[in-house]
Amino acid sequence: MGAFDPIITYEKGTYIETDTGNKVSRKATIIGATNIILGGKSIIQTGSILRGDLRRSTAGQHVVITMGRYCLIGEGSIVRPPGKMYKGSFTFYPLRISDFVHIGPNCIVEAASIGSGVEIGKNCIIGKFVIIKDLAVILPDTVLPEGTVVPSMSIWSGNPGKLIDTLPETYQETMEAKCKSYYQRFRAA
Amino acid sequence: MSISYSCSHLDPPHASLPPSYPSSSSSYHRLDRLYFCEECDAVRCDQCVAIEIASYFCPNCLFDVPSANVRADKNRCARSCFSCPTCESSLSIQASDQPSESGQPGPPYTLICPGCKWSSKEVGWNYEKPTGIALQLQKMNTQSEIVQSEFDSLKDHLESYISLSTSNTTTSAPSSVRSTRNPSRQISHLTQMAQKALHRDVGGMVAYSARVKRPSTTKDGEKEKYGWDELAVYEAKENWRKDGMGSSPNQVDVMKELGVSGADGVAELGKRWGKSWDAGKMTGDILPQRIPLQTKLTKRCPHPNCRHLLIQPDTKSVRMKIKMVAANYLPLIEIGRRRRRLPSNDIAELPELEETTSEELERRRRERRRTRAGIPNKEEDESMESPLKSGETYSFQLALTNPLYDPIQIRLTRPNSTSSTSSQERCNVIIPTPHFTINALKDAWAYDEEYEDDGNNDFFMGGSEAGFSEEGTTTTTTTGGAGGTIGKKSRLSILGGGSSTKKVRGRDRENGVEKKSNTSKVNLDIEISPNARKGDAIKFDLEIRYTYRSDETVTPTDTEGKAKGGKKEEYKDFTFWIRVDLGRVE
Repeated sequence: MGAFDPIITYEKGTYIETDTGNKVSRKATIIGATNIILGGKSIIQTGSILRGDLRRSTAGQHVVITMGRYCLIGEGSIVRPPGKMYKGSFTFYPLRISDFVHIGPNCIVEAASIGSGVEIGKNCIIGKFVIIKDLAVILPDTVLPEGTVVPSMSIWSGNPGKLIDTLPETYQETMEAKCKSYYQRFRAA
Repeated sequence: MSISYSCSHLDPPHASLPPSYPSSSSSYHRLDRLYFCEECDAVRCDQCVAIEIASYFCPNCLFDVPSANVRADKNRCARSCFSCPTCESSLSIQASDQPSESGQPGPPYTLICPGCKWSSKEVGWNYEKPTGIALQLQKMNTQSEIVQSEFDSLKDHLESYISLSTSNTTTSAPSSVRSTRNPSRQISHLTQMAQKALHRDVGGMVAYSARVKRPSTTKDGEKEKYGWDELAVYEAKENWRKDGMGSSPNQVDVMKELGVSGADGVAELGKRWGKSWDAGKMTGDILPQRIPLQTKLTKRCPHPNCRHLLIQPDTKSVRMKIKMVAANYLPLIEIGRRRRRLPSNDIAELPELEETTSEELERRRRERRRTRAGIPNKEEDESMESPLKSGETYSFQLALTNPLYDPIQIRLTRPNSTSSTSSQERCNVIIPTPHFTINALKDAWAYDEEYEDDGNNDFFMGGSEAGFSEEGTTTTTTTGGAGGTIGKKSRLSILGGGSSTKKVRGRDRENGVEKKSNTSKVNLDIEISPNARKGDAIKFDLEIRYTYRSDETVTPTDTEGKAKGGKKEEYKDFTFWIRVDLGRVE
């Protein structure tokens, strides 16, 4: 898989590598880092914004963004938790991202949960409280309205996004290999 | 730029026809879309597998609909899932703006589209409860009541006719005149008999037998003998004329609106043809529809004597209970690293390309090896996407990845290399290394270990590979004594022997084969014919035969490719075809 894929390089020192293998760009805006959990071997690229500060207003520790392993937040993408009025006050809800999730460049993600093996193409807008189940593809330039449910093994496209096709049965292996390969190819120059 | 694998459906695998042939019956798919039937030892694709529906679910609420309910629900979600009439995204339920006395937002509830902000207020739909919208809507729907009462009165009307005729059937004997004069007597008799036989109502028989009777009566000319029941004319309860539907004054307005498009005008055809047939044509007339259900599919081998399950999904999760996919059996083939041969050195070589004798091939191979070692500027890297130029020679790399836990032996050939068709004349494909091995698939750390003890043993594989490539001829170029002995062995013993895998290094180059873990890369030279015109697609087929070690459970009878070498029955061949699409000529 991907025998001819080129190595993706970044300038040395522009990324911080953590003990668990996460690669986080120094130029990514990460607010409220204490409320963000990264699973390891995930990449957060230059210019992306993670809003861990948008937490539940009640007292106590709240995890805002959880991310699994082998994830990718593309350049210039914004990831923030969804929020709405509930019982007269505005509250944010946590955003959960599973393993093997690739979010392309320039996306805005306000989903409630993203399952494992999900690929979101570039320039997508994932609305508030969207639920993406395991193994799905959101093609580039898709806009998913608030509260959309994306079932497993489906391909979505368009504005507003619609289910257009289903994925082959081998997609789980394909996506996992792709995410691992991307992580291994992403290294300092 | 793609590689697709051939599926010959139920035909026995045969050399694929050139892409230009319209009679080329096999279809081509990407490897990840193909299935593999172990019983038939054949590739299967989505076009040929037998499909059964394993389960139904709603894509919005993800409810697993029992298959017994699907028909009654008309294949749509019977809970609260509706699609927006304008943008087709799923509607959400919103409570009214004015909070009720409890301070909580309460009824009436409306459906609202989060995408385009369409609201069900526009069509006057609102609900008392936020759940079971489809059921509430069904109750609200007054249209069905009108239809039902009309249907009931029509049924009453016709039932009087049936009961009248059945009451007279006591005269069952064919007392000729009466029975012929009133066909209904006969019909009802038939109906009665059928009812007795079937133990249920057979109302439809009346209409059917009457229809059957009619042509025969006219033919025989005994029309006057037959008569029809005195069936009173049915008067509809709701007359469309009374309703003024015949010539309504607002039709003029409708006609005017027909010219308008967009939100005020005629709805798009795509939005209308999925709806019920009597729906309005205007955008404003389109109502939200319940969301169609999706299915999970079970796939079976299409062979009539096989029918083995290839795919069996689990209704609860994304996992598959049975998953027989070709990616686990066939090597993955990728093409890349395009290089254009710079003309300076190859001018002498080009004219004699027509006859590619083994001698010529060997000479070229040696030259290529020298090229890699010595003069680096003979080839120029190019992007895979840029268009090809006619008359140029390109070299590509073909990467094959082994999915099996045993090393495999590959043989690349060009099918129909003798026949020349218009499409094949566009390019000439040279395979410098038609025979090579691919290492077994292993866990990642196993490769690392091999990597470390890599060293002076390199020539082992080099020597043996020479033996492979000159299959049949005597081993000519052995680098050392040890290499020579391996080279003289049959290739299968090298392939299968446990010791050989130890000798196969993590990365060694042997006669143009570049190996890394379970991937081998070989060169492929493509000469684009000078006759190729702009826009011509450069496509060619490759036959790939691989020899692998099979499990003992497989009986030799069901192998379609015979094991090479009589006594080594545990080795089997499998042949498949791929189509390489290199893009278009500039």
